Amino acid sequence: MAEISAYNVSASPHVKGRSTTRRLMADVLIALAPCLVAGVLFYGLWSLLLVVLCMAACFACEQLCNLVRRKPFTFDLSALVTGLILGLNLPPRAPWYIPLIGGAFAIVLVKMLFGGLGKNFANPAGAARVFLLLAYSGVMTNWIGADVAGNMLAVDVSSSATYLGGGTAVFAPVFLGVRGYWGWVLQLLFGYTGGSIGETCALAVLAGFVYLTVRRVIDWRIPLSYLLSAAVMTLICYGDASEILLQLLSGGMLFGSVFMATDYATSPKWKYNRILYGVGLGVFTMLIRAFGSYPEGTSLAILIMNLLVPLLDKFILPVRFGQCTKRGRQKPQAMKWAMRALCLAMALALAVAAPVLAVLHPRADEYTPAYVRSFRQTEEGYRFDVAGTADIGGYKQPLGYIVTIGAEESRVVRAIVPVQQSTMGYVAELALFLNKNEREIRGLQDLSADVNTSATITNKALREMILECYTLLALNTAPYEYAPRYVKAREADGAVYTFSVEGAAYLALFDYTQPLAYTVILDMEEGKVQTIEPVTQSTKGYVAELSLFIGKTHAQVLNLSDLSTDSNTSATATNTVLREMVLECFYEAEYAEAGNG
Amino acid sequence: MARFAGGIHPAGCKQYSRGCAIGRMPPVREVWVPLSQHIGAPALPAVQAGERVLRGQLIGRAAEGLSANVFSPVAGTVQGIVTHISPAGKKKEHIHILNDFSDEHVALAPLCDRTRESVLGRIAEAGIVGMGGAGFPTAAKLNVRGRADILLVNAAECEPYITCDDRLLCEHAEQVLRGARLACIACGASRLLIGVEKNKPEAIAALAPLCAAGEEVKPLRTRYPQGAEKQLIYGCTGRVVPEGKLPADVGVLVVNVHTAYAIWAAVEQNEPCYERVMTISGGAVDRPANLWVKNGTRLREIAEFCGGHEECGRIVCGGPMMGEAVFSLKICTAKTTSALLFLSEKEADAQESSVCIGCGKCVQACPMGLSPVFIEEALLAKKYGEAKRFGAASCIGCGCCTYVCPAGRRLAQSVTLAKKIIRERGV
Repeated sequence: MAEISAYNVSASPHVKGRSTTRRLMADVLIALAPCLVAGVLFYGLWSLLLVVLCMAACFACEQLCNLVRRKPFTFDLSALVTGLILGLNLPPRAPWYIPLIGGAFAIVLVKMLFGGLGKNFANPAGAARVFLLLAYSGVMTNWIGADVAGNMLAVDVSSSATYLGGGTAVFAPVFLGVRGYWGWVLQLLFGYTGGSIGETCALAVLAGFVYLTVRRVIDWRIPLSYLLSAAVMTLICYGDASEILLQLLSGGMLFGSVFMATDYATSPKWKYNRILYGVGLGVFTMLIRAFGSYPEGTSLAILIMNLLVPLLDKFILPVRFGQCTKRGRQKPQAMKWAMRALCLAMALALAVAAPVLAVLHPRADEYTPAYVRSFRQTEEGYRFDVAGTADIGGYKQPLGYIVTIGAEESRVVRAIVPVQQSTMGYVAELALFLNKNEREIRGLQDLSADVNTSATITNKALREMILECYTLLALNTAPYEYAPRYVKAREADGAVYTFSVEGAAYLALFDYTQPLAYTVILDMEEGKVQTIEPVTQSTKGYVAELSLFIGKTHAQVLNLSDLSTDSNTSATATNTVLREMVLECFYEAEYAEAGNG
Repeated sequence: MARFAGGIHPAGCKQYSRGCAIGRMPPVREVWVPLSQHIGAPALPAVQAGERVLRGQLIGRAAEGLSANVFSPVAGTVQGIVTHISPAGKKKEHIHILNDFSDEHVALAPLCDRTRESVLGRIAEAGIVGMGGAGFPTAAKLNVRGRADILLVNAAECEPYITCDDRLLCEHAEQVLRGARLACIACGASRLLIGVEKNKPEAIAALAPLCAAGEEVKPLRTRYPQGAEKQLIYGCTGRVVPEGKLPADVGVLVVNVHTAYAIWAAVEQNEPCYERVMTISGGAVDRPANLWVKNGTRLREIAEFCGGHEECGRIVCGGPMMGEAVFSLKICTAKTTSALLFLSEKEADAQESSVCIGCGKCVQACPMGLSPVFIEEALLAKKYGEAKRFGAASCIGCGCCTYVCPAGRRLAQSVTLAKKIIRERGV
């Protein structure tokens, strides 16, 4: 029977689908490519180096583990997928050792020690991100843009920190010519915001999602149920319909839902369990974001749900075809209908509640202020820095004030400090507004303080400014805690204040972040910048033009329109940062002058 | 139309033999007719060595209990009752007959009436078994005494490559329908449904005009395993066969197209069952065909006639999803052998097994709602109770789980093994 050995035999089936482990992993790598490209375009070559380092670290650690365990080397691309996902989860300016530590943690501790591919108890990249966040909190939350006054990408981006970081994004940005809320949404869609390398560009993530779904690599149920439940939870936690898009597009939620929550080994196997898992992810993410001390909840939520997956898999089983109850009746498809009902209920709730809430609470950021330049909460109330002009018979008189509105229920104007006004006596009558609330100021009939019409015009302008302060106050129900971004130390000698400021300028041309430090001395008696001394600046000549600021008042610095001292854009970037620093010094000094020590 | 959950959509590959009209395999010199071509006890030899037999003569008489008659496919001399390898690799009794090429023929006695008893008797007498692959004696299946109201003809033919049922319907729709009507008489069913996958428009077009009142062609979604009994019943009638129960318990009986044809031949032509249409197909066959092949023909002779290459990826007896890999071309065909496939290296699955990545594709693909990944895990850990909890005992062996597994794990094999252990040990 020589012929027996000549044939290939096996148990049935004898044909097979084309999907293989390596092909699936390659598909994930392809799907991640748009995120990588977007990240590198936004954040420069250093971020590419970080990602490459991370992939290399993961691959090397996996082979090292194989070597130690005397197993054959593995080339199934899964380590590269882990490395790429983790790399894209890192902040763009992380130091070089972060991807190495993270990669080693993900592969050795989370994956290989538990048995390698398919045996990891949690998503390796997600667990490593959480680990890095705990171990290197400062590094891992140092989103690029925090020190760059909005000129990072040479587009008009006025919010520089990530939305979830609770940073400076008080006012809606203008993006692609779209102002306000939708400008903000567009900005997040395109990824013009601070964040991890790969997670900011929502469009790139969505492209990856479509690719993976069409190729049937991932189950669309996980990301969709995740986002659906997160949207519903946003409504519950924030009670604000406009918050939904911002929450879904911000931070790592989109990226995590597509690339990390769908990790095979750590997501449930049955489709209806996957819906439950996705819903759980949404709930945990939003609970962490809304009530936890971390602004970002995605990777933590994924970690939590990962640990629940074995439980789901073990105890919620598919109903078998023809399965009967003990009474001999057909077993109902309870889980299937429960999950369908849950999704339907969430979709309905969203469809009904979102438009209602949108009408009840219009979005704060629809409003782009005309006068208010900054806004912060102080002990005595809310302090607004306003600037504008009064048109006095063809002459545009620049005006600047610090308006303080009391924090108590009555919300009356507590103080108005002129920063810039006419030197010829056509000044606003501040007493008209002091100790009045919004309704009273709105109802002020007679603004003609005297026969002088120019003063009346100034009064009218000031009234508009104050009313805008009230509008902003109403829209921003939760004002941002104020903390100086640049000022590190302050010394006062009478009315002369000496500030030590530190920051950095991002020089896009060289993809280099230049640390900056200055000593700014303000003479508050004259209300002018006495002098500025550089402490740390570029050694290559891209230094700020100090004369732009020296001798200028608060209002003059505020109204500086042209910071391009020469054709050198890097110097302009430095100027821009220095201006922010000087302005902050002014705020601090005025705040102290007002008796806040 | 009810759609069963799960399933897969493998490449049909029916183009090789779909257009081939049913031909006839030239007479062969020797046949080894298996005495066990059905589920149940092997037939008892009714002839002795040296005896001359005619085509259509009884050579194996049904044993007590579940069994079926066996008839001689050729006229010739019995060489002996010998042991010969079966497709499953076991030594089984075969009747070795040397063809004298006279083709002398004996028919069954004409049937004078068409009552339930007489038709059932003729089906038993003619040795008809389920020709879709299971080989359950048809007379025993149809003898349900009015418990079934629907007779369902399984013409789904969801396995890739196989086209014999399709061709039979295209060329002999009338005969198949009349055979099915006779089966209705035998089991007392009032409705006749014919389930055909939509990828066989010719067969549907051939059947539809012939249907009378109470008869209906059901076009079905093209999805494997549409032709599995429970899935077919669900797809055509919406009825779910409970676990551990038979289709008759929900009032349905299922017969294969070829079985219906054989019933027609037995009742109206007085021809017992000793040959069948087989599909010879695959990428490593020079001349794919649909052929009438006599039971007991060695696969080697079919391979030579159609130009099948032995040095191929896999030789399969039956469909690629549930058929058996052929380890020797000495194996002989039986009533249930619907196809002989020569899969090229490219077509045949030769993927190395690697570790499970936990993708859950097997869970989504299982048409029975089992969790193959966890059954395999339980099996490897020897936790058979756990394997049963995940549904191992309900496996129909369709192979969808292995088909979809990206890691190339032979899940269907593991589940089948778990099922066997559970049954044997009574877990």
